[in-house]
Amino acid sequence: MQAEQQQYSFEIVKWFAYMAVVYLVVGTGIGVYIASELAWPVLNFDNPYISFGRLRPLHTNAVIFAFGGSTLMATAYYIVQRTSGVRLWSDKLAWFTFWGWNLVIVGAVISLPLGITQAKEYAELEWPLDILIAVVWLAYSFNFIMTLSIRKVSHIYVANWFFLAMMIMVTYLHVVNSLAIPVELFKSYSIFAGVQDAMIQWWWGHNAVGFFLTAGFLGIMYYFVPKQANRPVYSYRLSVVHFWALTFGYVWLGAHHLQYTALPDWTGSLGAAISLAMIIPSWGGAINGMFTLSGAWDKLRTDYILRFLIVSLAFYAMSTFEGPVMSSKTVNALSHYTDWTIGHVHAGALGWVAMVSIGAIYHMVERLWGTTIYSVKLVNLHFWMATIGTAIYITAMWVSGIMQGLMWRAYDDYGNLAYTFVESVAQMHPYYAMRAAGGLIFFLGACVMLYNITVTIRKAIANPSPQMATAASI
Amino acid sequence: MTKLQEYFHTDWSAMTGTDWFGLVITVVIFVLMIGVFYWVYNPKNKESLESHRTMPINDDEMNAEN
Repeated sequence: MQAEQQQYSFEIVKWFAYMAVVYLVVGTGIGVYIASELAWPVLNFDNPYISFGRLRPLHTNAVIFAFGGSTLMATAYYIVQRTSGVRLWSDKLAWFTFWGWNLVIVGAVISLPLGITQAKEYAELEWPLDILIAVVWLAYSFNFIMTLSIRKVSHIYVANWFFLAMMIMVTYLHVVNSLAIPVELFKSYSIFAGVQDAMIQWWWGHNAVGFFLTAGFLGIMYYFVPKQANRPVYSYRLSVVHFWALTFGYVWLGAHHLQYTALPDWTGSLGAAISLAMIIPSWGGAINGMFTLSGAWDKLRTDYILRFLIVSLAFYAMSTFEGPVMSSKTVNALSHYTDWTIGHVHAGALGWVAMVSIGAIYHMVERLWGTTIYSVKLVNLHFWMATIGTAIYITAMWVSGIMQGLMWRAYDDYGNLAYTFVESVAQMHPYYAMRAAGGLIFFLGACVMLYNITVTIRKAIANPSPQMATAASI
Repeated sequence: MTKLQEYFHTDWSAMTGTDWFGLVITVVIFVLMIGVFYWVYNPKNKESLESHRTMPINDDEMNAEN
């Protein structure tokens, strides 16, 4: 028995999985607050530390890196062990990544409200934290690669390929984009300037989406959808094409964030063209996940965890169609700098990334603690709150964004702008309130999840079942 | 010169080392992608590739044997 319990390092997975849920609550909670600040500016309280400008990067860092990063570390450590049939290469290194990653998050919580920032989107943290991120990320990647190197099966499952691509590319992107000259302990200046700085920033920015928020979560999808459905993945060959097309294609897209700027025109055209081409592998992957349920669609009636996973694929398909359309110059002329972009990002972030993560975490909690979830009704409630909250959020932002774009470019008969900027802001109010309501519903759903899994874990620890004793080995 | 020819016109003499590096990488990746498609969808490889489909659902059995 002891030998079985020693087979895998699942304690680290448990901690990362639980912290991911805590950070989901914290990150979405901050998101609801800043959404409310936009709808009702009085909530800024003239206090710089809780103003929108300082809390917004805290929200993005909390949901992307704290919640998303913890989920990626939990699932990568879980999947690589199970599909390789071996323990993690180093438990100590795994715990270093846990405490190191949480130290980065604490650093973000302290520094961002104080206004300490590099002002680079999704890369705001100052240079000492950037170095810590690089060290922790390399430790995580090294441990993952070394675990693969000692695997007991010859084939490396495709989910691990996606994790590997993420690890390699995020290392490269983070290091290059964060190159800076420190002038003080918490102040540095990027080594890039002008349009080169913008290009590097969006090369990083879009690939943070492509590799951190897509490739890693596709690794989650390729393991947990077949596992939860108890069906083999629809087409392994399609997953191979999906992987290589995504890996080679994604790195070209960054320039589509800079249409109609000082960047050479052809660069934006190239970014848009490759973006449109990326619909093919993205939809191939989404179809591959959904068709895994072929012949077993009835499972969706009863399996609420599977619902999260499959609905996430629907949102993945939707946002990977919407993104390329928005990158084309004609649509970009209307959509850029408007709330439509915010709606698009949240279709991907809430609908795809959060939902696939939530499905994976519910699945792992049952396996890791050798128990069943405390309340299936609460999982069902969470599913509907997450789905309805996301739908309200993105609908509000679509309407608001398209209205903004149309108002900003409306001219009268004399060639003057038809509306002032302030008039467009005033028109946004109902949609900002609606967005805050959608976000609040999603946030409350996350609170339900935290409660449900906390009670599940407490009950499992208080009344250990025979399955729990061997949970570490299965 | 038509508008299309003008759009695709390239001044090869103005290509820098970085431009050539990028061009070569682009063409090589394009060729490699064709190679991947050919390899993956070659009927000869179907069985060996699709044999991995069940890895996640079989990992309980695999681990029980260890």
